[in-house]
Amino acid sequence: MLDREGGWSVSFAGCGFLGVYHIGAATCLQERAPHVIRDARHIYGASAGALAGAVLVGGGSLAQACSDVLALAKEARKRNLGPLHPSFNVIKIIRDGLMRNLPENTHQLSSGRLCISLTRVSDGKNALISNFNSKEEVIQALICSSFVPIYCGLIPPSFRGVRYVDGGISDNLPHYECKNTITVSPFAGECDICPKGKSANFHEMNVTNTSIQFSLGNLYRLTQALFPPEPKVLGEICEQGYLDALKFLKENGILNDSIYIHLSFAKRNTHEAAQQHLDHVKRRKLTENNGVETLTSLNDQLKQNPWPLEKSIFESLPPRLRKALQEACKEQNGFYAQFSKLFPMRVISYLMLPYTLPVESAYSVALRLVNWFPDMPADVRWMQEQLFRIAATVYSQAKSKLFCTARKDNYASLRKCQTVPSSVEFRSSYCHLKMPHSAAHIESWLWESSCFMQSAMKNAPADIQEPSDLKSYPNFLPNPDESALEIDVDSSSETSFQTAPEY
Amino acid sequence: MAGAAAVDLSLAALPATATPPPLSAADHRAAAMAEEEAPSEGFGWLFSWLPAWCPTSLLHLKEAEDKMLKCIASMYNKRYVYISNGNKIWTLTFSPDLSNKTPLVLLHGFGGGVGLWALNFEDLCENRTVHAFDLLGFGRSSRPHFDTDAREAENQFVESIEEWRKEVGLEKMILLGHNLGGFLAAAYSLKYPSRVKHLILVEPWGFPERPDNAEHERPIPIWIKALGAILSPFNPLAGLRIAGPFGLSLVQRLRPDFKRKYSSMFDDNTVAEYIYHCNVQSPSGETAFKNMTIPYGWAKRPMLQRISQMDQDIPITVVYGARSCIDGNSGSTIQSLRPNSYVKTIAILGAGHYVYADQPEDFNEKVKDICDSVD
Repeated sequence: MLDREGGWSVSFAGCGFLGVYHIGAATCLQERAPHVIRDARHIYGASAGALAGAVLVGGGSLAQACSDVLALAKEARKRNLGPLHPSFNVIKIIRDGLMRNLPENTHQLSSGRLCISLTRVSDGKNALISNFNSKEEVIQALICSSFVPIYCGLIPPSFRGVRYVDGGISDNLPHYECKNTITVSPFAGECDICPKGKSANFHEMNVTNTSIQFSLGNLYRLTQALFPPEPKVLGEICEQGYLDALKFLKENGILNDSIYIHLSFAKRNTHEAAQQHLDHVKRRKLTENNGVETLTSLNDQLKQNPWPLEKSIFESLPPRLRKALQEACKEQNGFYAQFSKLFPMRVISYLMLPYTLPVESAYSVALRLVNWFPDMPADVRWMQEQLFRIAATVYSQAKSKLFCTARKDNYASLRKCQTVPSSVEFRSSYCHLKMPHSAAHIESWLWESSCFMQSAMKNAPADIQEPSDLKSYPNFLPNPDESALEIDVDSSSETSFQTAPEY
Repeated sequence: MAGAAAVDLSLAALPATATPPPLSAADHRAAAMAEEEAPSEGFGWLFSWLPAWCPTSLLHLKEAEDKMLKCIASMYNKRYVYISNGNKIWTLTFSPDLSNKTPLVLLHGFGGGVGLWALNFEDLCENRTVHAFDLLGFGRSSRPHFDTDAREAENQFVESIEEWRKEVGLEKMILLGHNLGGFLAAAYSLKYPSRVKHLILVEPWGFPERPDNAEHERPIPIWIKALGAILSPFNPLAGLRIAGPFGLSLVQRLRPDFKRKYSSMFDDNTVAEYIYHCNVQSPSGETAFKNMTIPYGWAKRPMLQRISQMDQDIPITVVYGARSCIDGNSGSTIQSLRPNSYVKTIAILGAGHYVYADQPEDFNEKVKDICDSVD
């Protein structure tokens, strides 16, 4: 599996709250075979997978991340409407958690290694971001990747001025097709590390690269992705991730060989540690420290029980992670917690919902408004742009419809225009343009054209020359001095004139 | 009468039929097709109404298959092989002249057809004859009524393979089966061991027994279990037929990976079309498969219980994809059940259940090595 020359990558699938599975799997990889992560070329991730990858590569603590996710799940379950309650601000909680968990130099550790899958709002295409200039940028990219539209909010966050949403919408398991990618997914399906279901069903579906077997277990998992189950169940999913990763390591013979390598590696390390640390860049230093640290804990575990057995809950997990899970699963013991759990109290709280909800919503909206303040101008501008764009599309469509009806009257004069000698050239260059030859497609075409206007910096010069080509053609329309938008409209209605004489 | 009119109308309205081939040829073929189809339809109005809902026909399937195979440069011939009970088996034969070596016979999996081997034919037929056929009840082969008993249905499949072999005139063969084909290849080898020189099981279905403690994992909510109970009496692909005109886009939506697997050959939706037309025809092999399973997806008569009775001299190679959800442990279990025989397990990295399409180069190379070890 681990091709030494070609290198390998690890890819984590997006999966919402099931991200605890990734934490379990990542913990196993980090502790049992640290070189799998350390020497991996890239760590890909979408949504929750990106969060796990960022913690893994960016020097965060996985145990801390695990307790953060469980706390988030508890927060989501606290209210009657679960995560749909307006006062549940998932993005803010994730951001705060990452701020606490990731070290200050996380962008240096993860640049070039962590690839975050994002979906661009303007065209729905996938983008993989792998270079970061600051910790804030890493976190912002992660927030963009985790932003499930509507569930997390209405206004998509922006990264370097471009609006992005959840990477899972366009590519949930980046670089899945490569042979050397170790794919990790909490859904039973065709992945290297995934729960092997108790179903022999080979029917599956494929959602933006993540294969999901048709089984009841997976259906249940899908419902859990956005509506978290109890912390204990999440803990079990985490444990499952750890065990599946361990199974993967064992089956591929990576486990044994890594222990061997690391014993020798650590010995050398103690002797030459000082000078090596001087030579190496910060990243190396950290991973080696990690190596020593994990070795000691690994040795401890090997002494205690050579292979973990599923004796009792979370028994198989390493101590730090186990502690985090067990703490999260602890029931609240206070009087109020006990009291509010009683059945009549729960019924009453549901019955009160129509009265409490407006108050709570108003409060949370106010809170969000305050938090939104710094981003407000940008977001308002973006919304205005979107509104203008929609209005322009509607307007241009209406106009082209009207124009079509008027076309018959002007047909003769237009025909004259067509006999201009340059028309052959004109038509052939038109074929070059990737433009639908019908006014019905005008909306999509407009959409694309405004996209490349925006991303003109990125695109090849060939793309940029399109609009200039357009302008250089003789314009048959009465008002050629209108805005760029209308030139687009007119030129595509020209195409319909072009095709008209052919039949 | 009204029903017929409705059929006509809906056929005309369906987008998939919007691009018919030249009229004369289409008429001719359609007439021929109608003659052949007529006797097999005994379910009255319901089935005569079905094609109107699902935009498919044998003609569509034929066109889809032609598209699948059009990139293949090697010479091959295709024909129907006629077996008993008026059934016919659609067969492709590659490199028919290389008769000095044991031919390789490919059995496709559930819901597939010969077209899915498109990425493998050219490599595999380099120095030996390769036969591939649509299993009885699948693809372009006849779709007869199978017995509802699992043992009988399995026997019908096995006999159809044996009759096909007789008709084609093969003495011995290297039998390669994927998924359901793997199960049938093993069943065939149990019954006719003298005909099989080497058995290659690619991601075979139906080998392990259903574990008794299937319920002991995490508890699943009642409503999901209820949903499973409601869906279990249906055929596995019933949803595709119910979706009717939306079936094709359903295949494209649910299995966009097929397009990627075959992206070296096709840029368009050829594969989805082929799979769609293979499976929305009247469900014959699919029903037989359904009758051979117990929920969810386990075999009624698991092969591991019987594999020890197989002739010791038949070497077996199990090929599986490292990422597949089907357990690759079957190989080692077969080995332990046949201590005195040759059993080898090969894992192909980066491949899922459709090994031969996920990593065609690796797969072809491995299969060629196996074949070369035979003769």
